[in-house]
Amino acid sequence: MTQPLLSVRDLHVNFGTGEGDVQAVRGVSFDIGRGETLAIVGESGSGKSVTASAIMRLNFGADVRVSGSALFEGQDILAMSEEEVRLKRGSDIAMIFQDPLTALNPFYTVGNQIAEAYAIHHHGTSKKELRDLVLDSISKVGIPEPLKRINQYPHEFSGGMRQRIVIAMALINRPKLLIADEPTTALDVTVQAQILELISAMQEEHGSAVILITHDLGVVAEVTKRVLVMYAGRLVEVASVEDVFSSPTHPYTRGLLNSVRSLDSERHSHLEPIPGTPPSLIDLPSGCPFHSRCLYAASLNGRCSTEVPELKAVGNSFSACHLPTAELLSLVKAAQ
Amino acid sequence: MTNTNEAVRYMFYFVARRTFFAVVLLFVVSVFTFWIFSALPADPAALTCGKNCRPEVIEANRVRLGYDKPFIEQYGSYMKGIFAGRTYGEDESGIHCSAPSLGYSYDRHECVSSLVAKTLPVTVSIAVGAFVLWMFFGIALGTLAALRRGKWPDHLATVFSVVGISFPSFFLGLLSVLIFVIWTNILPFPHYVGISENPMKWFTALILPWFVLALLSASTYIRLTRNGILEVMNEEFVRLGIAKGLPRKKLIVKYVLRAALTPIATIAGIDLAFLLGGAIVTESVFNLPGLGKLTIAAVVNSDLPILVATTLVSAVFIVIANAFVDIMYGFLDPRVRSK
Amino acid sequence: MKRNRIIAAIATAGLFFSACGGSGMGAQSGEETGGRSATADGIKDGGTLYVLTFQEGASNLDPQRVYTGAELGAYGSTYARTLTSYVPAAGKEGAGVVPDMATDLGTASEDLKTWSFTLRDGVTWEDGSDVTCGDIAYGISRTFAAEVTAGEGPMYATTYLDIAEGDSDFGSAYPGPWLATAEQQALFDAAVACDGTTITFHLKVPVADFAYTVSLLAFGPVPQAQDTADQYALKPFSNGPFKIESYEAGKEMVMVRNENWNPDSDPVRKPHVDKIIWQYGVDEAVIDERMLADSGDDQNAIVYGGIQPENLQTVFGDDSLKDRRTDGFDGFVSYTMFNNETVNCIEVRQAIWLGLDREALRTAAGGPFTGEFAKSFVAPLLATDYEAATLVDGLNEDGTPNVEAATAALDKAKTACPELHARATGEGLRFDHPDSASWQKNIAIWIDSLKAVGVNIIDNPIEPSKYYATINGDRGDLMRSGWAADWANASTVIPELFGAGGGFNYTNNEKDPNFPAFDEKVQLAKSETDRAKQASLWKELNQVIMDNAWAIPGSATKSQNLVGSNVRLAYQWMPFGWYNLGAIGLAG
Repeated sequence: MTQPLLSVRDLHVNFGTGEGDVQAVRGVSFDIGRGETLAIVGESGSGKSVTASAIMRLNFGADVRVSGSALFEGQDILAMSEEEVRLKRGSDIAMIFQDPLTALNPFYTVGNQIAEAYAIHHHGTSKKELRDLVLDSISKVGIPEPLKRINQYPHEFSGGMRQRIVIAMALINRPKLLIADEPTTALDVTVQAQILELISAMQEEHGSAVILITHDLGVVAEVTKRVLVMYAGRLVEVASVEDVFSSPTHPYTRGLLNSVRSLDSERHSHLEPIPGTPPSLIDLPSGCPFHSRCLYAASLNGRCSTEVPELKAVGNSFSACHLPTAELLSLVKAAQ
Repeated sequence: MTNTNEAVRYMFYFVARRTFFAVVLLFVVSVFTFWIFSALPADPAALTCGKNCRPEVIEANRVRLGYDKPFIEQYGSYMKGIFAGRTYGEDESGIHCSAPSLGYSYDRHECVSSLVAKTLPVTVSIAVGAFVLWMFFGIALGTLAALRRGKWPDHLATVFSVVGISFPSFFLGLLSVLIFVIWTNILPFPHYVGISENPMKWFTALILPWFVLALLSASTYIRLTRNGILEVMNEEFVRLGIAKGLPRKKLIVKYVLRAALTPIATIAGIDLAFLLGGAIVTESVFNLPGLGKLTIAAVVNSDLPILVATTLVSAVFIVIANAFVDIMYGFLDPRVRSK
Repeated sequence: MKRNRIIAAIATAGLFFSACGGSGMGAQSGEETGGRSATADGIKDGGTLYVLTFQEGASNLDPQRVYTGAELGAYGSTYARTLTSYVPAAGKEGAGVVPDMATDLGTASEDLKTWSFTLRDGVTWEDGSDVTCGDIAYGISRTFAAEVTAGEGPMYATTYLDIAEGDSDFGSAYPGPWLATAEQQALFDAAVACDGTTITFHLKVPVADFAYTVSLLAFGPVPQAQDTADQYALKPFSNGPFKIESYEAGKEMVMVRNENWNPDSDPVRKPHVDKIIWQYGVDEAVIDERMLADSGDDQNAIVYGGIQPENLQTVFGDDSLKDRRTDGFDGFVSYTMFNNETVNCIEVRQAIWLGLDREALRTAAGGPFTGEFAKSFVAPLLATDYEAATLVDGLNEDGTPNVEAATAALDKAKTACPELHARATGEGLRFDHPDSASWQKNIAIWIDSLKAVGVNIIDNPIEPSKYYATINGDRGDLMRSGWAADWANASTVIPELFGAGGGFNYTNNEKDPNFPAFDEKVQLAKSETDRAKQASLWKELNQVIMDNAWAIPGSATKSQNLVGSNVRLAYQWMPFGWYNLGAIGLAG
């Protein structure tokens, strides 16, 4: 059996705050193979970004506790020394951030910042070599007039252009894994598609695996094959992108899809956003975190509010719901 | 490269514009200062007169000093005096003050400009020394406190801040004089001597005021630096820097300090300018004949010519510092330049 | 004498004192003369004497413009010799006048209007040139120059010298040396005539104690060639044992020995130290700590400006400081003038005097250390002329108000002067005072204590720098003031404050029916050459003022000082209320 590129097991992330412990991620496990694309979907506060950060050990603060394991090519990132992690960052694993304006250092030219990303991991590169590499990388991400642009500062670029630079920077070391945390959220709708295309194209060229973090199911549809749906720090559904769209098994996933569809086209006569609000991560409800908003919780005689549901196979997907498998499948059918 | 030329041209316009505004501001400030002092109830002519004064003497002095003239004319002669010098009084007993004349103090019997010239080096010595100390300690301790959050450097910084904020400079100054001068005789009593005259005496006279002022202001800069660094540490670009695999030292210096200290540099510039206007309390406690002491003595004696001049000098410092800081900011932060 | 800054200091001091709260226990104010520090015990010539002061500089170094008691003594004993001087001795002896640059105390004509003095041989300036009669005449002529001396110094030259009235700013026909035409200068030269080494003064009024008048620095010489008008105050030329090497306000003044001073020409001054350094602008709290610590150079230091009130208990409660401390009158008397034209009824004036809470006023100023309740307008320091007067019947010794007596007096006023009574108890009487922090407190005490009697006070604060110029024109019903003698003779007190044309008489007492008899006696006293007879006349006149209640005496103020342990001959010099600076020496 081939080893997955990254194998995350039972990942927990807690943040201590004045008001109590924020249990941001609670027992997330998944694998991603070389060159594979995976999306983690969820509302804000679902723990998807924290999960991504945990893989790069980017969760900081006085009171952060991370447990579980994240084996990258067989080595547990979470158990590495700080220096070992540093050497992985930017070279084997790179990241694209949500807001390209705040992600770029405003004090240095973009050329400087891209060159730096390469030089960190390639000591002794000559200036000329670096310059050529930088010019090449930014022309590849589709920035015109690279000669002029490398001497400009981030604020002189549009949002989309900035994100291209971030991508160029992330890919300059040909990483094996690229984590894209909401790469299009801060961008204009017209630019979003271009950036997604660019990520796909780059992925193909470099053969990187991609973890795409998003709350936008539309984005998911365009680039990924496998989808992880997170809710209140837990995985609630794992499925192929087709199954998520055509036959979502978990009531939460279904609710999410409905709300997106109804928002997408106003021709739909009835809006179906999920009633209620996500639970507080400090004061989590017992049992299934979704039970207070779930239409079916009542039918299970309180089991949903006492027992935490594990992921189980439902058709081709995996779903964390107490409803019997048969009932879930029939619900899927009914929805179709 | 065309790009560099463009940047240079940009900077030139930026500097030229800031300088122009500074000059306009100085003009406005000078008119305002002059107007404020002319509107005060204290009668500058009466102030030139002793206890045995007669109304006739006051009136004669008013005419002699030009205080009977309309405001605009008084302002005009004052400005002219700055560029061309001025004679106070008309007959043989008149006193000539050469340019830049800032007025004549009948209380001190000297041209105000020569009083300023005598006191300014003292204040500059105090201010610059204290500034260097507090910036060094403020930034060093503030950085340590931020990087070793919750550990001893952080606690030390808190102690500093509490001392700096809760003890008035008067008290701290007096206490240090008591400890180092009067009780232990480690240092001589501060008695200012010019640096060119005797550098050692200059140094021993200033070391206490430097430390007292530095201790007071360092607490602010410790806090500013610490908070600035902690804030910048949360910035996305710092996270990206880490995600790039930047070594910690490089990250702190190139990313964190650069961003955290840029706004502090601008505050420091203004603080220094305020201090150059005279460290009133410190100069008084340590008996240093600087601009601050000159000002406070002028307040006590209602010596208006000195007050007008020291106010103007302070204003000039602050306006220049503001312009300088803005221009500096343009160099330090590329985002400002292009706006 | 002018003493604005010291009054300000006392005012601030009072603030500190009351803020510190009831320190009424422990040491009490009493006469102390300095113990060993006032003697010559173990004195050795040489060394540097330090003068520590919170003041930013000299009030004025220009002899024609010095008018601060302590400074008159300090500068006269060091760099500014005059025709006559005071005896360099502690106690009453120091109030006597002796020849200085002159060979004797002068010769007066029968009518006391012509005085002549002869200059000693060998009196020189710091450049070795002789001090001439012309230098003295020139110095005196500067007093007339309003544009330079501006009434900062005493004005006896303009009031005494026989020069016609005219339209110069001081009302004289002579406008001072800078503005005078040849004819105008001739007027002055006729009044102050030089004949070789003899200088003759022609006066327009008889003056019995002109030998005292010429002891004022304002009657001292200035060499015309050295005169820099207003800037002469930065570096006056010396004819005494010390000269000014450097002076910088806010920093220091260095006085060094004048090599061209000839001791044989000077029967008065016996300098001991080589150098006197005045350190200006030293924080008052720091001064006290340094003096108490008494280490290093501070053992050779004296203080100009006194002790901070909060340290008085420490200084006077510690017997080991006995040989270093002084406590005594400083020559000032504070008082409140009535405008006797508007408050023209003695019953009302007495009612106010009786009802005023003088104890509260003294406590507000700082308590007994600040002074004693005055019983004369002449300060106790003028021992020859001082005598405690009989004050208004019923006045409480301890300074507290006697409401009963005050109300009774006011009742009498109802029939004696119904109009004034109605105004005093109705809309109120206007009280003029300088608008200072201490007077904001004082006026509240005035208002409150007199309200208990039934008299209303209208508060009228005046910008301090304009105070005297203002009341010179527009006078309220009551006005606060303070005065010290210009020389050790009540002739500079009683006539100045209450006589006709007195330079400082704001009381309008010439409207009082008892005034003509009073002023007649004043003129008599002024021309009385028998000093003992003159003194008894002053005492009588002081009693007349009290009997008429033309003004209410406040406090005879005191000052306290502490010197370094090496300091010797630091005695309180009676005419000036401070030390004889030039005479101080150092032990060991």
